[in-house]
Amino acid sequence: MSRSYLFIPGNTPSMIQSHDVYDSDAVILDLEDSVAVYDKDAARELVRSFLAAHRGNVEVFVRINDVDSGHFHRDVSAVDDLAINGYVLPKANPQAIDALAKACNHPILPIIEDPQAVLDAYAIVRHPQVKGAILGAEDLTKEMMIERTSDGIEIHHVRSHLALVCHALQKPFIDTPWTVVDDLDGLAKDASLARSLGATGKAAIHPNHVALINDLFGPSESAIRDAERILAKASETGKGAFRLDGKMIDEPIVEKARRLIAAAARYNKR
Amino acid sequence: MNVTAGTYESSDCLIRLSPSTTRKVIVESIVFDQFGDAIQRVLNDTLDQYGVSAVQVECFDKGALDYTVRARLITALKRGGYIE
Repeated sequence: MSRSYLFIPGNTPSMIQSHDVYDSDAVILDLEDSVAVYDKDAARELVRSFLAAHRGNVEVFVRINDVDSGHFHRDVSAVDDLAINGYVLPKANPQAIDALAKACNHPILPIIEDPQAVLDAYAIVRHPQVKGAILGAEDLTKEMMIERTSDGIEIHHVRSHLALVCHALQKPFIDTPWTVVDDLDGLAKDASLARSLGATGKAAIHPNHVALINDLFGPSESAIRDAERILAKASETGKGAFRLDGKMIDEPIVEKARRLIAAAARYNKR
Repeated sequence: MNVTAGTYESSDCLIRLSPSTTRKVIVESIVFDQFGDAIQRVLNDTLDQYGVSAVQVECFDKGALDYTVRARLITALKRGGYIE
């Protein structure tokens, strides 16, 4: 499960060739909003050519244009035969997921970014090709004609709802990007809030955001130490339930500790 | 008709195609001494792959990697109707 998903404009060679130096767990090569209409063809060709030559360890997704855009089928077919981790589908809804699933065999990460999609989130995320969901708060608040604030009160319910949906279906919930590039304190608060509500990772629109996101969405040192103590005690007692530091520990907590240690190992923290 | 693809930005290249009865490939690069031949080879290999023999290709390179040069040429060829 990745912590950070960095958007990289699909028509910018300098950023594409540096995709693996930003330390993002995953990158999303963007054919949609960051590419001017007159350069959609150039971006498609550049992303295809890059992917054909790409041999890296970073997960690579491609954000295609939406189903109704007129670019959809060309975007899908441009990279469908190449090794990508999946498509990121903007303006997702159940019909759009079906259309993309018919057109490809790759995993799909839908962006939930309009009110109806929020209401349809369970139907969208439960599709077998869908491997998680991304919240697109900028478009969502634009659709609702409400202010997008730094404390995120206007998306609090949506974050909670999508977290529940994704966790119920055991799939990642990727939080919306923080769009104030130089406000890292704001990013820290925003990401911490999203994580506390159940987000498993966060999208980023600037490389400077990646390290902080990785830090906040990865297991903390204190959490790792606690998990190690829980697992050690569980091994030592051999019991289904036991006390540690005055607290009752049972199997769900032991299992959570196992998952946390596995995540720590993945991110080279142990 | 002249067509272009790409930019003059760092790590990119700009490809300009002009009508010609033969194949002409011209490369200007900030790293011509080290990579001029390699860029020529990518351009010619791509033209060969698509069977394009009658076109003038000018490549103004700002340090593009091979896949970028190839992508910009293919885009220009499609824009100019040389290939589909």
